[in-house]
Amino acid sequence: MATSIARFSRKTLTPTLIRRFSTSSAALATNPDPPKPKLTPSPSPNRANWDYRGQRQIIPLGQWLPKVAVDAYVAPNVVLAGQVTVWDGSSVWNGAVLRGDLNKITLGFCSNVQERCVVHAAWASPTGLPAETLIDRYVTVGAYSLLRSCTIEPECIIGQHSILMEGSLVETRSILEAGSVLPPGRRIPSGELWGGNPARFIRTLTNEETLEIPKLAVAINHLSGDHFSEFLPYSTVYLEVEKFKKSLGIHV
Amino acid sequence: MGTLGRAFYSVGFWIRETGQALDRLGCRLQGKNSFREQLSRHRTLMNVFDKAPIVDKEAFVAPSASIIGNVQIGRGSSVWYGCVLRGDVNSVTVGSGTNIQDNSLVHVAKSNLSGKVPPTIIGDNVTIGHSAVLHGCTVEDEAFIGMGATVLDGVVVEKHALVAAGALVRQNTRIPSGEIWGGNPAKFLRKLKSTEIDFIPKSAENYSNLAKAHAAENAKPLNAIEFEKVLRKRHAGKDEEYDSMLGIVRETPPELKLANNIEPGK
Repeated sequence: MATSIARFSRKTLTPTLIRRFSTSSAALATNPDPPKPKLTPSPSPNRANWDYRGQRQIIPLGQWLPKVAVDAYVAPNVVLAGQVTVWDGSSVWNGAVLRGDLNKITLGFCSNVQERCVVHAAWASPTGLPAETLIDRYVTVGAYSLLRSCTIEPECIIGQHSILMEGSLVETRSILEAGSVLPPGRRIPSGELWGGNPARFIRTLTNEETLEIPKLAVAINHLSGDHFSEFLPYSTVYLEVEKFKKSLGIHV
Repeated sequence: MGTLGRAFYSVGFWIRETGQALDRLGCRLQGKNSFREQLSRHRTLMNVFDKAPIVDKEAFVAPSASIIGNVQIGRGSSVWYGCVLRGDVNSVTVGSGTNIQDNSLVHVAKSNLSGKVPPTIIGDNVTIGHSAVLHGCTVEDEAFIGMGATVLDGVVVEKHALVAAGALVRQNTRIPSGEIWGGNPAKFLRKLKSTEIDFIPKSAENYSNLAKAHAAENAKPLNAIEFEKVLRKRHAGKDEEYDSMLGIVRETPPELKLANNIEPGK
């Protein structure tokens, strides 16, 4: 197949398409160079400007394969890499990146990680405890948050654009306001409302507010069901690929 | 067995044809609400007319990142998932060994209130944390920009400086060498200890190694992905401790082994 592509590339294809079809050394070349001074970068002629596959959603690293539960909704632009487990009923919304390459990431039952969040796990935590990121059940992580090696106990709400640094612990039934920044190792006690940069205590939550927290997670779970039902179990893009290849005369 | 194989093949073909016909029927039933999937049109490296990005061959650029316009990325650098480096109105230069972590945005300004229009220059071995926003600023070598930080026009982050997580560094601030600035608006917090200063280039190096693993994984063609899926399934039940207790040494298949230098502890 490579020879037929090469023959066609010399005849009909434009240079961008040549780059597109040589998927091999797309990102990495292994020829050692002698140490050179600070020069302009030397681009590889094989780098793909555009890959028709797009970004893969699930990126296994070595033996680690991200695991997504059957009824969990993971949007198509999400990137799950390494040791990530998305449990039942949870949802990961558009543009989020869950990178479990250095340590484990767990997203508990009926929790949700909203749009454009970045969840990462550091190699070591300043508290000395295991540095995995654990998001327990019924947690709502608001949009554009950054979570790094933190533990979020059951039934919490993390406001939008909040930043939780290494080793922070948000105890059960607490709420973090939008835009709050938790410095490394910060513990938010149970049933309280904290906010600000750096996060400070605002007030305790009333019982009614505490009861609303899992209701919000369940509501987002229902919403994610709607989004989930929009997608077919297998995409029909292969038809487009076959059409494309046929139009270029490549054997399907 | 040839005819049997052929029979299976044609039956399979009929079933697929039926399935595709049913799919078309379903689309007709859905009418204007049906969704036909297209090939992904996301362009990782995109040029704006004549401004094309120049990315070194040993740099890792995640497929979901967008490198647009006049952007230069040096050797060993990494641009992680979801980043946008937009050099459409001015130039963005990223040095070698730098890592720009997930969902960050690096942009340049065309016009400025003060009149100067600085290009964005990011030096070597810089670590830019997740979801940072860098706009028309200069970051010198071996600096560290914490996650979620917003660095605005004309800021100069000097060598070995650290911008804390979530900081908002206002226009034309100069962050001196060896200091930590944070908060909104960014103020001086404390000086960096020497251990922390030594840690910065080491973290950049760790990230470079991690980037190599991700680069290799993202570049795999379909055959390799499917093969490794089967390997992983077969290897999933094996537990190293149990094996060592039994005295068996089972080798992980080489395709499933990660490079040793990824985890900083090893």
